Amino acid sequence: MDAQNPILAPAPAGAPSLRANRVRPSRRVADKILITASTAFTMLGILVLGSILLMLIVEGLKGFSPLLFTQPTPGPGSEGGGIANAIVGSLVLTFLGIVIATPVGLMAGTFLAEYGRGSKLADLIRFLNDILLSAPSILIGLFVYTLMVRPMGTYSGWAGGVALAIIATPVIVRTTEDMLRLVPSQMREAGAALGAPPSHVIKTITWRAASAGIVTGIILALARIAGETAPLLFTALNNNNWFNANLLGGIPNLPVMIYQFALSPYPNWQGLAWAGALLITITILALSVIARLVIKDQRAR
Amino acid sequence: MSPTNSMSSALSGRNPADESAPVRIAVKDLNFYYGQFHGLKNVNLNFHDRQVTALIGPSGCGKSTLLRTFNRIYSLYPEQRATGQILLDGQNVLDAKVDLNELRARVGMVFQKPTPFPMSIYDNVAFGLRLYERLPKSELDGRVEDALRKAALWDEVKDKMKQAGTGLSGGQQQRLCIARSVAQRPEVILFDEPTSALDPISTGRIEELIEQLRTEFTIVIVTHNMQQAARISQFTAFMYLGELIEFAPTTKIFMNPDKRQTQDYITGRFG
Repeated sequence: MDAQNPILAPAPAGAPSLRANRVRPSRRVADKILITASTAFTMLGILVLGSILLMLIVEGLKGFSPLLFTQPTPGPGSEGGGIANAIVGSLVLTFLGIVIATPVGLMAGTFLAEYGRGSKLADLIRFLNDILLSAPSILIGLFVYTLMVRPMGTYSGWAGGVALAIIATPVIVRTTEDMLRLVPSQMREAGAALGAPPSHVIKTITWRAASAGIVTGIILALARIAGETAPLLFTALNNNNWFNANLLGGIPNLPVMIYQFALSPYPNWQGLAWAGALLITITILALSVIARLVIKDQRAR
Repeated sequence: MSPTNSMSSALSGRNPADESAPVRIAVKDLNFYYGQFHGLKNVNLNFHDRQVTALIGPSGCGKSTLLRTFNRIYSLYPEQRATGQILLDGQNVLDAKVDLNELRARVGMVFQKPTPFPMSIYDNVAFGLRLYERLPKSELDGRVEDALRKAALWDEVKDKMKQAGTGLSGGQQQRLCIARSVAQRPEVILFDEPTSALDPISTGRIEELIEQLRTEFTIVIVTHNMQQAARISQFTAFMYLGELIEFAPTTKIFMNPDKRQTQDYITGRFG
């Protein structure tokens, strides 16, 4: 390759178009085509994403009003209404999901990175976790439907929380393991060299060293489940009222509300669906920004 | 300046080796394996009480491997194993019955890269103390201060004990790690190339510190820098390809070695 390099090659006397002589024309064409193609497809992606966002903002803002946050969803044919019950329901379901998923994901990730290093069992768990990570979420909804909704005889917030937890867990397992692996092994050796047993080293040193990354993983998992619809269709479903404190019966939530209201014939329902979609998008954006800030803070230290 | 000349100037400031000092660590027929790879071959040597012993040799010769057997830190990795005997005050540390945590409280270790834990300076030094001793606050404070003074770091950090240990400079971090080890009042301190990640001024301070620590602790240091070995050690062991080639007082190793390989290495003919 050095022979092609105009800097390393000896300069031929009186050759003004050095590159033209040395680089075959077909390569220059291939180069141009690749640059043009990658630019064009990037622009296409930005255009599509941008128009979705733009439409969401325009349509969503039309329906934005303080009533959104105070009124429950309206019945068919009635005017006005808000999405307060769906907002609260979504908060409850997401909270429930993340509260179940965090300890499971944290512990499993710790096992993979610390105790199970190099073992066959850990390889198997990591493989299954990767499958779960990309499993279609509607399958998980159906699984929880069979596991909880049918035996309990009713849709419930509990089932919805469990379904969301199953989606969040592999995300947390993966990031926890990756972040713990970034902690230099000398750190663990230094802990062990002071006579600390492995559990103590993990609790006081490696978890702490990886804390920002682990928290980021939890926030990203939160962002992931905040917008999930499919697993909730079979588990929490929806209703138009404030939910019961025991979380039994359908639980109102934003994604399923958007799904149902967007397909409805009533203009005020469609407006509420747009507003709900915008609200979820803003929330997920905010969570992603927070996750980036946490990581940045860690790097600065 | 020939290597031998610079060596003799490095040697001139040292305290002479005390060959009558009692043996603290006796290594007998030590063999070490990384899986199938035979890393140490029949190593036999003695480490004397309150002397600095330097382990030198080209990369991959087994000097760090030897160091890592004394506190059995290698046992974190299941594929590594050692056979033979390492007698610390007559007790074989390779014996399966030895309590590893107790052993490591007796044999401290300082690593190549500074490894401050993600916690305050105070908590870093108190880390080892809190593991097995329940000390009242005042006594803990005293032990932490004492350790930081011995590591020549007290004056620089006494007003910022609550700040993160990771915020210190590289040289300060390394002295913090030495303080952390010293706080446990070990008998032996192992240094694994403690200055190779530091600038010359920090290196000088660590070397002075090792010289002071020698009055209380038995010290084993792995170093790539032969001048450093000449400056700070009383005994030197030269290793090559997993074997101990020559062990003698540092002056002898650098001025008049018995083995041809040692002579070639210290004069820079290979390595």
